Formats: sequence, structure tokens, C-alpha cells
Amino acid sequence: MPNALKHTLFIALPVLVIFAVLPGVYQNHLLLFNFVIFLILAQGVNIIYGFTGYLPFGYVGFFGAGAYGFAVVVMHLHAPGVPAVLAAGVAGVVVGLLLTPLLRLSGAYFAIANLAASLAVLHLIANPALESITRGPYGVSLSATFNPTSAYAAGLVVLALTLGAVVYLKNSRFGLALQAVREDAVSASMAGVNVVRMRVIAWLVSALVAGLAGGVYAWYVSVFYPDNVFSGDFSIFAIVFALFGGVASITGPIVGVIILYGIYNLIGFTTPQYFQLIYGLLIMGLVLFLPAGLVSLATRRGWHVP
Amino acid sequence: MLRVIIAALAGVTLTAQAYAAEVPTEIKIGTLYASSGRFASISMPVYTSLKLWADLKNADGGVYVKAFDKKLPVKLVAYDDQSNTATASTLYNQLVTQDKVDLLVADSGSVLTAPAATIARDHKMFLFDQTGTGASFFSKDNPYIALMADPVSTIWPKPVADFVIHDGPALGIKKIAILYSTNEFTGTQANAFRKFIKDSGVPVEIVYDQGVPTETTNYTVIINNINNTHPDAVFTFGYAPNDIAFLRNVADVGVKFKMLFVIYAGLEKELLEKNVGDKGLEHVFTYVPASDLEYPVNFGMNLPTYKAAWDKKNSDGKLEFGLNAVAGYTTGLVIEKALSVATSLDQMELRRAVFSLSGNLKTLCGPFALDETGGQTGELTPLGQLEPDGHGHLKFVSVYPHDTATGKPVYPRP
Repeated sequence: MPNALKHTLFIALPVLVIFAVLPGVYQNHLLLFNFVIFLILAQGVNIIYGFTGYLPFGYVGFFGAGAYGFAVVVMHLHAPGVPAVLAAGVAGVVVGLLLTPLLRLSGAYFAIANLAASLAVLHLIANPALESITRGPYGVSLSATFNPTSAYAAGLVVLALTLGAVVYLKNSRFGLALQAVREDAVSASMAGVNVVRMRVIAWLVSALVAGLAGGVYAWYVSVFYPDNVFSGDFSIFAIVFALFGGVASITGPIVGVIILYGIYNLIGFTTPQYFQLIYGLLIMGLVLFLPAGLVSLATRRGWHVP
Repeated sequence: MLRVIIAALAGVTLTAQAYAAEVPTEIKIGTLYASSGRFASISMPVYTSLKLWADLKNADGGVYVKAFDKKLPVKLVAYDDQSNTATASTLYNQLVTQDKVDLLVADSGSVLTAPAATIARDHKMFLFDQTGTGASFFSKDNPYIALMADPVSTIWPKPVADFVIHDGPALGIKKIAILYSTNEFTGTQANAFRKFIKDSGVPVEIVYDQGVPTETTNYTVIINNINNTHPDAVFTFGYAPNDIAFLRNVADVGVKFKMLFVIYAGLEKELLEKNVGDKGLEHVFTYVPASDLEYPVNFGMNLPTYKAAWDKKNSDGKLEFGLNAVAGYTTGLVIEKALSVATSLDQMELRRAVFSLSGNLKTLCGPFALDETGGQTGELTPLGQLEPDGHGHLKFVSVYPHDTATGKPVYPRP
């Protein structure tokens, strides 16, 4: 059996089935939905950081652009949910294209520039001068498309597509080329890899994923402000979850989200007064003892982790 | 005959037992608070005052619940959302689906109320919106929300605009400048203020009208730009950190505007006094909040009694006493009064009960009045001015509307 099929059948499919079934047995659907959103975002970070080495501190910029892409087509074109989510993906890609020059930077410079760029997108959308288009800082209310059940289903579809993309990257020449670029761009270029094209494609796929996630999120929550969908917490959580599990793998970000976001909510429900202390200690422990993520526990022993 | 009596007694006993089983042991009120993050400063006073109400009621045996014709203790089920909206969404849902609270109360401010509005509507639960004043929450097709303790943003600045419209020409106010932070709360207030002025047809020219990011911390250039337009009055709509920075920069630049209005000099006077100093706040126009205005009440404590209770509970002085410190208590009073008239805990019945209070309830926050969408229209904050009290401190002088005014405006600023 080819590896791609194995990864699809034994990793991606079980995750999707579990999250498709869980709403029938657990009533806090929004918690499950947030899990789905962070699974998508963590895999989006995985695509750009795990496979190319670019750490996107401002990843929420694509997410927020997607949410507002959704809102704009619903408000002005009266589009139903599904086409609006597609428009959200387009919005994410458009922002990604505009920010492509950032790929000239690397390391901390890229991370900081990306963070600044996401703030620029936020202030553009929240600008009162654009009130007639985006409602500026005054927030949107999308009661016409309000349908949490359909939004949850759309979230699962986006998650399936994202997992499919990561499975492809993990098992294709294209993914291998990306990892070669990440390790040593000059050597990869000498070996015939089109470095710029590879990076731009990975960047845009990552932006598309976040844009679609933003659209699905907007569909579900229906009432939001720029501060809601451009909250830096989305970037931070997605990056921490991906790093906690381990990037450049299919399972790492999934494990990271399930464990870390699970603990996050468990602490939040039971001992909120120790929330930041416990969570901070967990992340410190990760940085000190498992800098390559949880999957490194297995890879250190020579086990192959997809 | 004996059989009939036994059967009747058994029936009565069973009915009584069934009724007893339906009567809850407590009323569960679910809410969130932000102990950290950018909304902590507005969230904690609101939550603390709601908790104060719950503690006081429980010490008194609970609240009267008409649906069960008895007093029941209230249990506040509260989670910390840390100002994170995604976390807030999950926690609101937890309150509804897992804790199965009887009443749902939103966290403070519009940003953290937004997820609650969606979830409440989804689960057909009535949302007690404490201070989320955003206009987007209130629509005719959403019956599951009402604003408790602040006026809805679209009408909040009406007394300020009315002052300019009615008293401005006589004072010589012909040119005004508007500066606002680009977020929902302050941006909507600026919009509403501008609209009131323009719709009135009063001969007042807006010579400066600019929005700046909420994160702005240096207003030096902006102040000079405003000054160059020679306005007769400057109206700034910002959050507390914006107002602090603006007022400090006004003092640094040495500009003296003839009239200067800021929101938080009134809403959080203690905070501004600490950070700007009395000198920088002298003659500044602002809202006179319920925490500094003694409204006649027909339910709950009046301001002096409540202030004493607040001071006793918060003797460490970590939380300033301002508008937010009475907002949670006001929410508690509305809940208490609604439970005393609602015939069941059905959410639409709770809504009916809350709306029945409109126009009839007077709390320390002022007269409680709702429009048909649930927006608060009654608790309008008058326009006032901070003046030296002769003892080295500042006092509020309410200047508009005239029927509640306690003095005349000092214009131009000396």
C-alpha cells in the first residue's frame, strides 16, 4: 500500500471521522469546532513552517482576511455560506500574494515582518473609511447565513482538504523539494529545485488554508469585530500547537492540538486561577526538553513517525 | 370511601413530590470574566460587582423566584476567558451545554460579548448583556439579548451632541474637532455624535474629523494638527489608555483647547486621576457616570449605600470605583427583579419579564429602558465637567441636560 494511502486511511480519516461523530455525543459543539479550526491552522503553520522554515507570527492576518472575505460577499452579494467560504479562501490567497515579497526575508526578520503585515491588514479592514465595505471597526452581523451545523460541516471539509495537502507534501517529490529548500536553499537550487516557485506555492497554500478557516469561523460565529478575528492568539496557539506536536509531520500538529488545546480547556474549566501558570510551565517544558516536539520522543528511538 | 380518600391523598403526595423535584435548589447564573489581557480593566470591576450582588443576596437567603414562589440562592458559575475571544466562545458554550445554567450573563465590553450573542441565539437562551453596547447585537430578528447597564453606543453621546446643538451657539461654539479611536465602542460613539450634529442643522462646522488606531500612544502631532484648525471645542472618543495619553500630551504640548471632551475622565475618574493628575483634568468635559450621580432608585441600594458595600468588599483598593463597578450590580438587580415577575424560567418568559421592567425600574444606574431590539436607551450619562472642589480634588459638575444640571459650564477653559 502506498504511503500516501496509508497516511490518509490511518491518520487523516480517523481524525475526520472522530470529529464528525463527536457532535452526536458531546454537546459543547463550539469546543469541537474550535478544535477543528486549530487543527486546520496548526496544519497551515505546518505547511509553511514545517516544510519551508518560515515562521509566520502574523498567520492570523490570512485568517482575519478570510473571515472578512466571507463577510463582504455575504453582506454585499448576499452569497450563501459555501461560495462565501470559497471567497474567504480567495481573500487569504490575495493577501498572501500581496505579502509574497516578505519571503525575501528569513528567520526572525520574516517573523517580525509577517507580524507587522498582519497588523497592517487588520488596520486596513478596521479603517472607518472602509465602513461601507467592511463595516470598519463597527463589527459585522451575518444573520442571513447563520447556521452553525453547516459551518461545522464546512470546517470538516476544509480540515480534510488541509490534511490531504499535508499528506501530499509528506509523500511527494514536491514536499521533498520543499524540505530540501528549507535545509539548504543553495544546494536545492543547484540540484534543480526552483526555490522561489516552491516557497511561493507553499506560502499561498498556507494562506489559502487560513483564509478558508477564517471563512468557516465567520460562518459559525456570525457576529464579530476585527479584534475577534485578528486576535494574535490565533497565531500564537496555532504555532505553539504545531511546535508542541512536531512540525514537518502529519501527526505532530494533530497530537499538539489534541493534547495542548485539550489541556488548555480542561484547565480553563476546572482551575482557571492556575491557567497561565500551568500552561506556561507546559510550554517551558516543551522548549527545554522537547524542542522538536512530541514526535521527537519517537524519532529519537528510531521509530518512523509520519 | 376510604379507598377514594387514600387514592386522593396518594395523588396529592405524588403531585407534591413531582413539584418538589422540579424546584431547583439554586438558580445557576453563568458568566465569564477576564482576569488578564486587554479587557481585564473593564471586566474585573463588572464581574466583582455582579459577585457582590450575588453574595449579598445569598447572605439574605437568596432571591425570590416567582416561578417556584420561594427564595432560592444564586450560584455564580464563572470562568476566566483571559480576554481571548476563542476561549470565551468555548466557555460560553460550556456554561450553556455542560453546566446548563439557568441564566446567561455576558462578559464586559462588545468584543467579549460578541461570541455570547451568537451562542445565546444558537441555543435560544436570553443573554443578559452587561456592557456590550455594540449596535450590531441588537436587531428585530434576534429576541435573545438585552443591554443591562450602559446605553447602546448609537445613542450614548446624545447628551453631548444636544449640548453642542442647544447651548453651543450661545457659548460661541461654531467649529468643532472630532478625534476617535477606530474600534467599535469609540468609533460608534463618534459616528453617532457626528450624525446628531449634522442632522440637527445647527451652524457648527466640523473642522477636524479623524480616526486613529486604538493602540495609539503618542498624540503630539495630532494635537498640533487639531490646534491648527482653531476649533472651539474638541471631542475625543477613546478608551482609557487613549484618554490618558491624549491628556498627558495636551499638557506636554502646552495647548489649551477652549473645550475638551474625553470619555474616560468620567467613566473611570479614579484611574484617570492617578495617571493624568488633577491639574490635567481640570475643566475637562466628560460623561457623569452613575458611580458619581445619585439617581433616585425604586429597587436595590442607592449609590452611597452601594459605595460603602463596595469599599468594604474591595478594601485593598485594587479595583477603582467607576461606571463598571456599578454595572455588574445593576445586572444583578435586573436579574433579581425579572426572576420576581417571571412565571417560569423559560428563556422567552425571562425576556418578557426583563422587557416588562422597561420604564418601571429605577436603579443606581438610572432609569432602565429598552427599545424593541433590547438596546438600552434609559441609562444615559449626562454631560459634566470636572471642576476643583476647593479641597485639592475634582468634582463633577453636571451641565447638560438642564433638568439634571448641577452647575453652569466653564467655557472657554481658563
